[in-house]
Amino acid sequence: MAWKRLLTLTRRSHRPLSTTASRSFSDAAVSTSSPIAPPTPPPPTAMIYDRLAESVKSKIKILENPDPRFLKYGSPHPTLKTHTHILSSPETRITTLPNGLRVATESNLASKTATVGVWIDAGSRFESDETNGTAHFLEHMIFKGTEKRSVKELEEEIENMGGHLNAYTSREQTTYYAKVMDKDVNKALDILADILQNSTFDEERMSRERDVITMEMKEVEGQTEEVIFDHLHATAFQYSPLARTILGPAKNIETISRDDIRNYIQTHYTAPRMVIVASGAVKHDEFVGEVKKLFTKLSSDPTTASQLVAKDPAYFTGSEVRIIDDDIPLAQFAVAFQGASWTDPDSIALMVMQAMLGSWNKSAGGGKHMGSELVQRVAINEIAESMMAFNTNYKDTGLFGVYAVAKPDSLDDLAWAIMHETSKLCYRVSEADVTRACNQLKSSLLLHIDGTSPVAEDIGRQLLTYGRRIPFAELFARIDAVGASTIKRVANRFIHDQDIAIAAMGPIRGLPDYNWFRRRTYLNRY
Amino acid sequence: MYRSAISRLRALKGCAGNLGTTRYATSSAVASRPSSPGFFSWLTGEQASSFPPLEVPLSGVALPPSLPDYVQPGKIKSKVLENGLMIVSEASSNPAASVGLYLDCGSVYETPISCGATHLLERMAFKSTRNRSHLRIVREVEAIGGNVAASASREQMGYTFDALKTYTPEMIELLIDCVRNPVFLDWEVNEELKKVKDEIAELSKNPEGLLLEAIHSAGFHGPLANPLLAPESSLDRLNGDILEEFVAKHYTAPRMVLAASGIEFEELISVAEPLLSDLPRVPRTDDPKSLYVGGDYRKQAASQLAHVALAFEASGGWHKEKDAIVLTVLQMLLGGGGSFSAGGPGKGMHSRLYLRVLSKYPELQSFSAFNSIFNKTGLFGIYASCGPNFVHKAVDVAVAELIAIATPGKVTQEQLNRAKESTKSAVLFNLESRMIVAEDIGRQFLTYGERKPVEHFLKVVDEITLDDITSIGCSLLRSPLTMASYGDVLNVPSYESVSSKFERIGK
Repeated sequence: MAWKRLLTLTRRSHRPLSTTASRSFSDAAVSTSSPIAPPTPPPPTAMIYDRLAESVKSKIKILENPDPRFLKYGSPHPTLKTHTHILSSPETRITTLPNGLRVATESNLASKTATVGVWIDAGSRFESDETNGTAHFLEHMIFKGTEKRSVKELEEEIENMGGHLNAYTSREQTTYYAKVMDKDVNKALDILADILQNSTFDEERMSRERDVITMEMKEVEGQTEEVIFDHLHATAFQYSPLARTILGPAKNIETISRDDIRNYIQTHYTAPRMVIVASGAVKHDEFVGEVKKLFTKLSSDPTTASQLVAKDPAYFTGSEVRIIDDDIPLAQFAVAFQGASWTDPDSIALMVMQAMLGSWNKSAGGGKHMGSELVQRVAINEIAESMMAFNTNYKDTGLFGVYAVAKPDSLDDLAWAIMHETSKLCYRVSEADVTRACNQLKSSLLLHIDGTSPVAEDIGRQLLTYGRRIPFAELFARIDAVGASTIKRVANRFIHDQDIAIAAMGPIRGLPDYNWFRRRTYLNRY
Repeated sequence: MYRSAISRLRALKGCAGNLGTTRYATSSAVASRPSSPGFFSWLTGEQASSFPPLEVPLSGVALPPSLPDYVQPGKIKSKVLENGLMIVSEASSNPAASVGLYLDCGSVYETPISCGATHLLERMAFKSTRNRSHLRIVREVEAIGGNVAASASREQMGYTFDALKTYTPEMIELLIDCVRNPVFLDWEVNEELKKVKDEIAELSKNPEGLLLEAIHSAGFHGPLANPLLAPESSLDRLNGDILEEFVAKHYTAPRMVLAASGIEFEELISVAEPLLSDLPRVPRTDDPKSLYVGGDYRKQAASQLAHVALAFEASGGWHKEKDAIVLTVLQMLLGGGGSFSAGGPGKGMHSRLYLRVLSKYPELQSFSAFNSIFNKTGLFGIYASCGPNFVHKAVDVAVAELIAIATPGKVTQEQLNRAKESTKSAVLFNLESRMIVAEDIGRQFLTYGERKPVEHFLKVVDEITLDDITSIGCSLLRSPLTMASYGDVLNVPSYESVSSKFERIGK
């Protein structure tokens, strides 16, 4: 095959080079006619590889004269620019009702659609070992009928107005939201209020849903990334609430009862821990009025989630879990340090560090040219299939690290690259790399806000975690203030000689042991 | 090298300082990065953070004024350059902007020599140009934190750039350079060819995509039968020269549209026009003509399942606008999907195929309606996957469902209304996104030479009646059947036996 390619290459190069070839021929003819000519060097196209080189050279020649017209604005060197003038957005209005319920809106009356949702400061971390899985079970059951609406009526009502109703549960937050057209905002709010306050949790429906959740569980087990992160939480936060999975163990799914669910709603779906958010075609005052009318049955128990967290905090333990399976082709592992909590001012620097480490996979367009030195090492040496730096925040802690998928024979090189580049953040950081990462972080935060649902999601999450919505101008100012020395300080706080948690699965016999990793959280030469 | 990068940055920062520090920092009050870390800074690091926790507002930040609740939506402005190239933009108050260059080019223009070029071009997007190396392109995009992407389909190609509005000139310049001046260096082409090969190998894991390809190659005669994904055999032949020739022939000014969302029209013109106006004025070549013929494709593969697709011609395509919209509603009306899928109410659980088929036959893995509309023609059909023993029944059910929509009285008004509302909301939800708006502008200008307002679309949807559904159903079934199957296909009924079931309908 290679032979065939060579042939086609020579055939191709024949056309443009024919003139030079003929000239050298005539030269040769002249030289033979004169009796004492010195030996001439062979023509540049005599050998097949010379011809190849010539054709490449002729091709590269067109790169020699870049057109300045096309190089007026762009520069590969990152600089900080002010964005204040583009950051205007509609005001985020927040009203707190007497029972502690917060209502937040961002109106855009020109929009024809809206997202209405409820963000709740509750998730699987507030369960116990026996009830682990309740929050997620509840998310499933809440669409299964209320005192006023049967399942069928509920589904048909949503579909007849062309809406979407969705929900997700995480370790600390639960969300229910509806996406509808402008005329149906009040209907959507009515449905959300109904399912949150009047769900019946029919026993028969519950037993049917157990099968669905078991099926979902099997599906999640197939997604190795999710499994790795579940194991990572289980080992990093062992014997503390964040270790539990969101879905819960299989035996709990069989035993969770109607009372467990009711109990969970009663204690955790309280007005002060909920935020009702709307964005798009909504008017704040009207919306607040509707919420007042509809959300009347919520408990106003003043216990906050932070108090519950303080009572049962998460502890990070340096540890590892390895599940060896030589029968699957790819190994995957995650290495994590304890990260920052949501409100920690250094969490911004950690986000910049995550952008500096970057993420990469085999089909990424940037390939080996990306700015992150870890990506360069991984891509150039071909030691991984994909890698991704992650930074997760919780109320009292966080996880910061790198997740990677690789063939078994390159695991040690990959582990070295990851640990070397991560711990290097404590010692040697270039200002250009930090600026690039800051720009990428700012852009990705803002570009993500594309539509009413991301806006609502942003408002809901920030109100639950920060108690306010951070204006983009302030967020950008905080990011811009991160420099190389900040990165080094924060890296010294979170990475330098700190304990790590490792979760690994697959053919991982080649992955270095825990002490090897732990040793590489610092350099001895400094 | 490392050091020079820093010093260059300092130089840039220095010259910015002369213009006033506010230009380069979001807020002058807080942007005081600890300047030039001392020699031992790696030992001591910066002093402890002086910032308050995130729940406390940062003082001294200049906040921009809030927008009013009602912002007049931007008007579409467009201009046709002398060489025939169109520049269109819709301004918005969004801080982000999306710009795309859309081309009337795709696999329908491929010849036997250039077969597979479109797919390879999609992968070769944003690689080296005459003015920029690939490295420089990657770093320029990273320096402003944008996203670039390319997409290729049978009739259109798109190159898009999404970034903060502040960087508008940089975005436009890079985008145009990458589309106009690619050089297709041998080593870059070879690297991408390898990736294309891997991608094709992956395709066997996606039988639905494979069947959609097969339906086109079996159903059409002519350019639309060209494969969109480069066939294995073309990979050894494709090279930079073929791509260069293809680009030179088809990336001509009258076939290009530069569309933007979130960019002021005047700014777009001032940057883009000088970079595009010197493209030669080349008369448009004729659209390649395809003929729908119908046909059969089957491929036995090591699979536990049988996948079958039945399709008919939706004649007229986008240019018969009303029919195209009715087809979209019809697809919503039939709906369908996988037997197990996540998500709450609103994903089409009360569409006809869910109610009448998927809830009745647990043997089916998935059962859904699909359409694929082109400028002048299109395809509409049903895709099913199930165990090999059930496939006979699955085909019968699909036949019955297709016949039902062509029979008056089988579809109820309630179902139609639901489908109409779902279609309207799906389009409106999509248009919330600036990226989709830019793409919609570009593609509509390529197809119609103008952008029809969304109100027009909503009105057409509102006016659709049950008769429209029946008549489009009949006209579908009047065309010859196209059938494709993949996997364990031994029990798939023969083309003739399926085709004969449609004979009495609509003729």
